[in-house]
Amino acid sequence: MKKINWKKELRLLPGYIVVGVWVLFTAVMLFWILGASLSTSREIYKGEIFQFASGFHWSNYADAWNAQNVSVFFGNSLLYSVISCAGVLAISAPAAYVLSRWQFTGGKALRIGLVVAMSVPVIMVIMPIYSLSVQWGIKGRVLLVILYIMLRVPYTTIYLLDFFSTLSRTYEEAAYLDGCSGPNTFLKIMLPLVQPAIVTVTIFNFMSVWNEFFMALIFTSSETMAPVGVGLLNIINSMKYTGNVGGMFAAVIIVFLPTFLLYIFMSEKIIAGVTGGGVKG
Amino acid sequence: MRKNKSMIFWFCLPALLSLLIMFVYPVCRTVIMSFFQVESVTATTADWSFYGLGNYFKIFNSASFMTSMRNMLLIWLVGGVFTLAIAMLMAVIVTSGIRGKKFFRAAIYMPNIISAVALATMWIQYIFNYDFGMLNEIVQFFGGEKVKWLGTDLKFWAMTGSFIFGSVGYYMLIYISGIEGIPQDLYEAATIDGAGKGKQFFSITLPLLKGVIKTSLTFWSINATTFFLWSKMFSPIDTESSTIVPVIYLYDMVFGGKGITTRDAGAGAAVGVVLTLIIIAVYLVTERLFKGSDLEY
Repeated sequence: MKKINWKKELRLLPGYIVVGVWVLFTAVMLFWILGASLSTSREIYKGEIFQFASGFHWSNYADAWNAQNVSVFFGNSLLYSVISCAGVLAISAPAAYVLSRWQFTGGKALRIGLVVAMSVPVIMVIMPIYSLSVQWGIKGRVLLVILYIMLRVPYTTIYLLDFFSTLSRTYEEAAYLDGCSGPNTFLKIMLPLVQPAIVTVTIFNFMSVWNEFFMALIFTSSETMAPVGVGLLNIINSMKYTGNVGGMFAAVIIVFLPTFLLYIFMSEKIIAGVTGGGVKG
Repeated sequence: MRKNKSMIFWFCLPALLSLLIMFVYPVCRTVIMSFFQVESVTATTADWSFYGLGNYFKIFNSASFMTSMRNMLLIWLVGGVFTLAIAMLMAVIVTSGIRGKKFFRAAIYMPNIISAVALATMWIQYIFNYDFGMLNEIVQFFGGEKVKWLGTDLKFWAMTGSFIFGSVGYYMLIYISGIEGIPQDLYEAATIDGAGKGKQFFSITLPLLKGVIKTSLTFWSINATTFFLWSKMFSPIDTESSTIVPVIYLYDMVFGGKGITTRDAGAGAAVGVVLTLIIIAVYLVTERLFKGSDLEY
């Protein structure tokens, strides 16, 4: 073990205090919510949440999961996220590949268009999309998935494009000499080579769709198709009448957990991806 | 390598269609719609009637729109100063050679990856709670009177404060990546010349981070202008003047909110255009202010 240089550590003390207090605050908040999610509403109001005098109330979770429909919201979010992630890859990876490999008419325009689209605010597209969806008769879950896929195409394409450009062309030349067709070379040789980038971009797409709120609020007409964000808002609004604070905190924990767990296991990769792509995640 | 034209075409087509359907067509239509009187968002173009700048006059004469603009400006300015300053402070500390650097970096960024609805709920239902909230526990510990954090007077600042907490991590990561790109020998030379930590920060770190700061300003402007979720969470049912922001105003106008009987999609489109123009203006101004910031070292 490296010897601790106390003089250096002492000089850094103010820094430790600042980040320490910030992280402590975050930790206390999370632990309190976790404690509250296992307590009765009465205990929460009396400020006795960490005594668990009446035991752990796992029933809060059962109540949130079943009675308050969190299972439905959770299933919806999972469905939206997984299908969108797959769909956006199917669209973006081929485009990113050819854009990185060949100069062709309109290629540059497409590239610039994608970069600009990344900073177009959703409010500029939401109204025409709404009327288009009514006109074409697409609605509900299918509509949301299609929108999420198209919304993530610019970011995903540009991100993958950067990675494809770093690959040497010798792979393709060798494949061509062996008589491998263009699309086959892409699928069997090039795509596996950018696998790390695909993993990173998929994590970001997953978190982005899982946490999406604005479109979900506008396009989900009924509770049965609401994802977790909109569902949680509904639970909070109805809690004013039911008074079930414990159940509400249990719902918060359930909504918070998936991306949090993903982060615990992949924080290095996620943090590297935030700034690595040079674009917002 | 042989250029396979049909492959290029078919590989690009889905992405091109996504771009056209999801971005190009809607943006054009929104801009055009802002010059027409359109009641329902689903109205066909046949029902549009030309209105000139009427929608723009309408929103700028609307008291609630002006309140929402003022709130947005405050979030942008006050929230921006605090978020970016705290993010910079955290970035400097995390890169100063402290132990557990990776842990602190990951922990401070954490609020950015969890569902913002869940994060906002934690703040509203716990931190700011009147009966059992953390802030009132602290206030009482020091012998103070309980405070109504979510009352009309403080609600805006409660919202802005928790939004700042949720945003710091992202900007910290941007600054960390900038700081780590600065060669260490600059600091060593400065130390030999007798420059203290503070002087080093203002004479080396800050000037060399110009480009990164420019990026963070642009991102912050986009975030503040399109502010919606936190406002919706702090006033979930009724829109209140203390928390209204332009996107909430637009949402109520176009998709309906409590107490709003008439819909006006044309005015909504005008709000969208105004916000986009603000983002573009801020972008151009920062580009100009930070001109020649791509230093070589």
